[in-house]
Amino acid sequence: MMNRQELYVCRTMAGILLLSFLIATYYTGFDPMAVLLHLGEAWTFLTEDFLPPRFQFTPVILESLAVTVALAISSASVAAVLAAGAAVLGSELLSPSKALAAAVRGTATFLRNIPTLVWAFILFSSLGVGTGVGFTALVITSFAFMTRTFIEVIDEIPAGVVESLTAVGASFWERIFQCVFPSCITGFISWYLYCLEVNIRSSTIVGMVGGGGIGMVLLSYLKAFKYAEASGIILMIAVIVILVDRLTDFLRKKAAE
Amino acid sequence: MQEPLLRFDDVSKVYRNGVQGLSHVSFSVEAGEFVAVIGPSGAGKSTLLRSINRLQDITSGRVLIRGEDISRESGRKLRAMRAGIGMIFQNYNLVYRLSVMQNVLHGRLGYMSSWRGMLGLYSEEDREKAAALLEEIQMGDFLNARAADLSGGQKQRVGIARAFMQEPELLLCDEPIASLDPSSAKIIMDMLSAMTKRRHMACLVNLHQIDAAKTYAGRIIGLRRGTVVFDGPPEALTDAAVETIYGVPASELAMKECVS
Repeated sequence: MMNRQELYVCRTMAGILLLSFLIATYYTGFDPMAVLLHLGEAWTFLTEDFLPPRFQFTPVILESLAVTVALAISSASVAAVLAAGAAVLGSELLSPSKALAAAVRGTATFLRNIPTLVWAFILFSSLGVGTGVGFTALVITSFAFMTRTFIEVIDEIPAGVVESLTAVGASFWERIFQCVFPSCITGFISWYLYCLEVNIRSSTIVGMVGGGGIGMVLLSYLKAFKYAEASGIILMIAVIVILVDRLTDFLRKKAAE
Repeated sequence: MQEPLLRFDDVSKVYRNGVQGLSHVSFSVEAGEFVAVIGPSGAGKSTLLRSINRLQDITSGRVLIRGEDISRESGRKLRAMRAGIGMIFQNYNLVYRLSVMQNVLHGRLGYMSSWRGMLGLYSEEDREKAAALLEEIQMGDFLNARAADLSGGQKQRVGIARAFMQEPELLLCDEPIASLDPSSAKIIMDMLSAMTKRRHMACLVNLHQIDAAKTYAGRIIGLRRGTVVFDGPPEALTDAAVETIYGVPASELAMKECVS
């Protein structure tokens, strides 16, 4: 049973939620009734235009699927190496200076809070479209994300372990390679794999706005009103995302052993 | 007159929060001495040990190793001086994901070029020495075991092997048996005592247990509020002396230890 105070909190929360819904609806001009009324149309569109999906295994589609996967893997990998270095400088435990550590963490947080898609748009408008630019956009957010998470992994090394290597007279680089990286490698791999998963999805979207790969092909089919083919591609993307999820799950468990 | 192995010359340490860690500490230790440092928690035992290999900086005074002031050194020279001082910790502080062998070989890092150390390119001689040391501490069967999979007593033995790998002249032990059960604690103390004696190595041990200090040490230093209030052989550590160090009668102290 809820006591009186809990009941009060619940009521207040519900009230705030309802009020914000009403305000948001008013500002956006969102009409819940319109959605219900047009549900039928949407349904017809989905069932008649998108279904049944038409699978095409043309070289173009297969190649661009491969490009998207490659984009995700390469961007996550390059970013992981850079992030491992940045995390060392950003961790208060290891960094040569506290100010540098704060600067690295601040930069990573800033970069991370700008979505990949926004980075893609910024880079496309300054450098032009292309796979290379899409890659850069993915590297920036992956780098920022992994720098943050790698720092957390480093901070979990039991206190005193790095110090014990200082005591034997080990140099900075010896401490990093003989103590920090061996202690953190499973944590790093786990976050790298998570980043890979996220990047498979992001690289599709970055592709749609100009980064090349399957996203671009999908967009061209949608623009040409070839919905059945588009739906085939969407399902292919879904299968790849699921496969990658399964694979990374498996690898994560292996790494933790 | 030859400089002693270790000499504290009017050393004081004030922490940033104003706490006095050490206050005008002076004493020296000769090669081959086995010294126990006792005192209540917060008396400055750890600060004393950690200022010898500069894990902590001192505020004033000098810490001399064979006449050289380690508190003024930095960079390569400091590394070289640290390499000559072994240290054993309460929480063992091994790299738990690495093998026992790799942890023992870490004892050589201070003597190697940085890039060889980074890549773990130890010489054949070092590997043989590490294997021999592991035999000596009866861990020969665990060469390739992961440090994380060992028991507390075994971890501490690996910690000892790592420190002895340095072939130090001076060994620092910061509460080496505080996390161990009585039988493992006895094995560790027996090993430390025998191994340092065999090599004529000086050893400074911080201890919680007065009876262990009396059993193993040839000399006891008593600290209270950062000041040396006792320095003498174990026979001279009377109940009155214990009361000076801990601020409570020896009988009450024994009670407290039983309870905790």
